[in-house]
Amino acid sequence: MSTTEPDNVALNGPVVGRYRVIPLIEKGATAGMRPAVASKDVQEALALPGTLVADWQDKAIKRLGQLVKQRRGLRVFLDNCTKCGACTDKCHYFLGTRDPKNMPVARQDLIRSVYRRYFTLAGRLFPWLVGARTLNKALLQDWYTYFHQCSQCRRCTVFCPKGIDTSEVTMAGREILASIGLGQQYSQEIITKVKSIGNNLGMKPRALADVLENLEEDILDDTGVPVRLPLDDSRADVLLVTPSADFFAEPHVDGLIGYAKVLHQAGVRWTFSSQASEAANFALFTGQHDHMRDIALRIRNAAVDLAVSRIVIGECGHAWRVAYSYLDALVGPLDFLDPAHSRVEHICEVTHQLLTQGRITLDPQRNAGKVITYHDSCNVARGASMGQRAGGQFRIPRELLAASVPRVVEMSADTTKQKTFCCGGGGGLLTDDMMAVRIKGALPRAQALQSVVDSDEVTHLVAICAICKTQLSSVLPHYGLQHVQVTSLHHLVGDALVL
Amino acid sequence: MLGYLLTAAFVWAVAGSAYRLIVWARTPSTLPMPLTPAPTSRVGVVGRLLLELLTFRALARADRTTWLASLAFHYGLLLILIMHLRFVWSQLPPSLVPFIGLSGWATLMLIIGLSVLLIRRIVIDRLRYISSPSDYLHIILLLTLAASGTAMKRLWPVDLYGVSQFLQGALRFSWQPLPESLVLVVHLSLVLLLLFVFPISKLLHGIGIVFSPTLNQRDAVSAQTRVLSGSSHSKTRE
Repeated sequence: MSTTEPDNVALNGPVVGRYRVIPLIEKGATAGMRPAVASKDVQEALALPGTLVADWQDKAIKRLGQLVKQRRGLRVFLDNCTKCGACTDKCHYFLGTRDPKNMPVARQDLIRSVYRRYFTLAGRLFPWLVGARTLNKALLQDWYTYFHQCSQCRRCTVFCPKGIDTSEVTMAGREILASIGLGQQYSQEIITKVKSIGNNLGMKPRALADVLENLEEDILDDTGVPVRLPLDDSRADVLLVTPSADFFAEPHVDGLIGYAKVLHQAGVRWTFSSQASEAANFALFTGQHDHMRDIALRIRNAAVDLAVSRIVIGECGHAWRVAYSYLDALVGPLDFLDPAHSRVEHICEVTHQLLTQGRITLDPQRNAGKVITYHDSCNVARGASMGQRAGGQFRIPRELLAASVPRVVEMSADTTKQKTFCCGGGGGLLTDDMMAVRIKGALPRAQALQSVVDSDEVTHLVAICAICKTQLSSVLPHYGLQHVQVTSLHHLVGDALVL
Repeated sequence: MLGYLLTAAFVWAVAGSAYRLIVWARTPSTLPMPLTPAPTSRVGVVGRLLLELLTFRALARADRTTWLASLAFHYGLLLILIMHLRFVWSQLPPSLVPFIGLSGWATLMLIIGLSVLLIRRIVIDRLRYISSPSDYLHIILLLTLAASGTAMKRLWPVDLYGVSQFLQGALRFSWQPLPESLVLVVHLSLVLLLLFVFPISKLLHGIGIVFSPTLNQRDAVSAQTRVLSGSSHSKTRE
């Protein structure tokens, strides 16, 4: 299997149509677009076969049989689809690529057909009648291709009358693929790095310390205030775990500076950890629960070693889902935490609380001239919550923005909050070899954004997810939206903060 | 003959469905995956499930035509099933008697709903792409059931008392002769087929919804009581 060059992409073209327009299907439109397969070294580092095993068909079917016995969600989702079609026009990759295998139900059917063939009575007796298929090489190729054209954003689940979650299916599918030798290079390599070095970038503690020191100097130059970015500070009460992109990437790093300013101003004693210098947990994307646990365990261990009483997660979508929903099940109970902060908190919750308590002051006039709109990140919107309020994951970021910027406008309600569209780069697709698919997948978000740029002259698109920020800043220019600045929420908070 | 088959089919449908439910129930649900925003209480979860089961809320969000057609079909079917209880119980509870008057409307709802679902499955390219033969056949099976039932009511009336005796016999293992009627044989044969298919097909999806972790789990994390405050548990060591 090889990678494909980006082609057939609307480069710099105007935004054609609207996300409400449902395209006709175009069979095989993105059949050739798939990410690089993991190298032998990476596979073997994760105790997986280096190349496709000889008896891959038996192994894959056996593994599927095990997974449906271990994961109720997977089994119920495979059993329960009525092919009603509700999801067929809800996936950004389908809307952007028109490839029918990117319709959520068709994506699930790649595994469902095999499940039916080998594990259900009807499929064993009458395969042709119920769409049951033998697992052959062509279908295996489709597994690899289309399970990697899913960002596991769960938008389809919102519209499914059976509550079927396609991400559980593609996570299982990727797990099976990796177990027979077909891992994805990008995600699996990141998992090896985070497990051996502590972050996705493979940045060593010394390098991280240098980065943080330089940033402290920058902040001092800019503001005249000695804001610290502590690393492994044992006096800290709060451990801040943030996606490693925050340490160096644009526009992420301005968000990082924002966190530091807020915590400095409120007098919170906090630290980063070199052991857990990464919030992301790509094993969520690959469905490998054992690796997900190991990666999550770094955070627990770092918190215990530094003897902190609170853990706070920075602006990262899937990290927040893992921290909010899974951490207790994976590495809990976190009984060493301050009872008043007995679960992991999101940086937005912390800032919001400090603002409500009057421990920080925000002056929106410091962001005068900016017109911003907010992109809900999928894992925050549909996989987690914030605060103690219903819909806190939607309201807390918006309230912070309202306090930081004079003008905030909303994109179409079909594309925000629970119905938010993925940026097009989530779920382990944020790699250059997937650029063509990433650009196509961003279509609905670009259309919704174009609409508020036209109506309200929006200047900034705000996100609280490292993947969203990288993806949107790299693909929006392809839609002629390069003048809209993709921004970290805490960049705007930091700029509005009265130091 | 048909009597024995019907008894066997009932046993098969009940046992097969129970088996499926047991398999679902016994498969471990390890990592929580509620679709948020999710209810924080168990009562809230029951409410969410009832809303999905009774109003098909997600389908309403997704596609109005499918939603209306599904509502018409499912509620039509429910009314018809209630009316069929008169064949199973020797005396229909008084509370259900008014439903008998709705029989014509219920059948109409069912047929219109199913027809819309069938037509869109044929006409819309996305639906055609995802449909297997069984997806069309399920609809056609239900439509022919409705047609044969209507034919008995409107064209070739049958001895309802005899049907009732026959059915009660089949369910109580004391088999009775079937009134002579070709359309009745057709109708009951289709019932047999439906009962056979029911536990091994997607037709169990209603109960499946209750087992769906995205819908049946609460947001337990958010339910934890928690007070955020910055300085309650600071370190003493310096």
